[in-house]
Amino acid sequence: MTPEELLLLEQVVSAHRERTVDGVIKSHPAWHDLDAAGRVAAFDETMKQRTLERSADRDGRSSTVKAVLARLTR
Amino acid sequence: MQAEVAQLARISAGDAAAFGQWASSVESSLRGTLRPFAALCDCEAVLQEALLRVWQVAPRFKHDGKANALLRFAVITARNVAFTEMRKVAATPTELDVLHRSLEAQGDVSPKTPDPHLREALQKCREKLPAQPGLALTARIERADDDHVLAASVRMTLNTFLQNVTRARKFLAECLKKAGVDLDLELSP
Repeated sequence: MTPEELLLLEQVVSAHRERTVDGVIKSHPAWHDLDAAGRVAAFDETMKQRTLERSADRDGRSSTVKAVLARLTR
Repeated sequence: MQAEVAQLARISAGDAAAFGQWASSVESSLRGTLRPFAALCDCEAVLQEALLRVWQVAPRFKHDGKANALLRFAVITARNVAFTEMRKVAATPTELDVLHRSLEAQGDVSPKTPDPHLREALQKCREKLPAQPGLALTARIERADDDHVLAASVRMTLNTFLQNVTRARKFLAECLKKAGVDLDLELSP
């Protein structure tokens, strides 16, 4: 993987996602710039990263769960 | 089963903490079911959208008396979101064929039990992290914020921040492996 691809992958591993005007969560722009192998690698790295995050957090929450909880409305 | 029904009742009643506890317990399994979609849509966005939809539907959700009812519903919801997202990219017939075969091969899904040694080993490895990668990774772990914001919060350029997060994750994976924790096992079904 090139240094540029690694930077893209690292952005995709983040749990931060923007929302569309109607509230649907958008794909990360960097995800579109990765090829198929890069996207799968980003998925696998995310799996591992979230495992670490759950273990590191006092409440066992990953950044994904934190991002979702911050957006809860009912 | 009683604990699961009680947890669902709390979620249905609007208890965000109960939902967070449930989401944390099923996140790894639920994300794993999306792996066949990994090249075709951004599964992080799909997973977050699916969890939000589960929260929205929970007050009307009826438990079917079988284990992991809400997780099974979340799997279906996540697949539906993924198929909707996939329509935005031009998947080839071969990709679709492989995808459907992978989904058909998936068995029952249940929450994964975390490695009991991971928390302690991770703490020790984080203490050994070089300063800059440690700062960058901590920022990433603590806040699901935009990378530009996180980089500025630790006084790094975006590229330096991203490179430091990569270095930190690589360092931790190697350190954990030496401590007997193989994160690659997380990828197994």
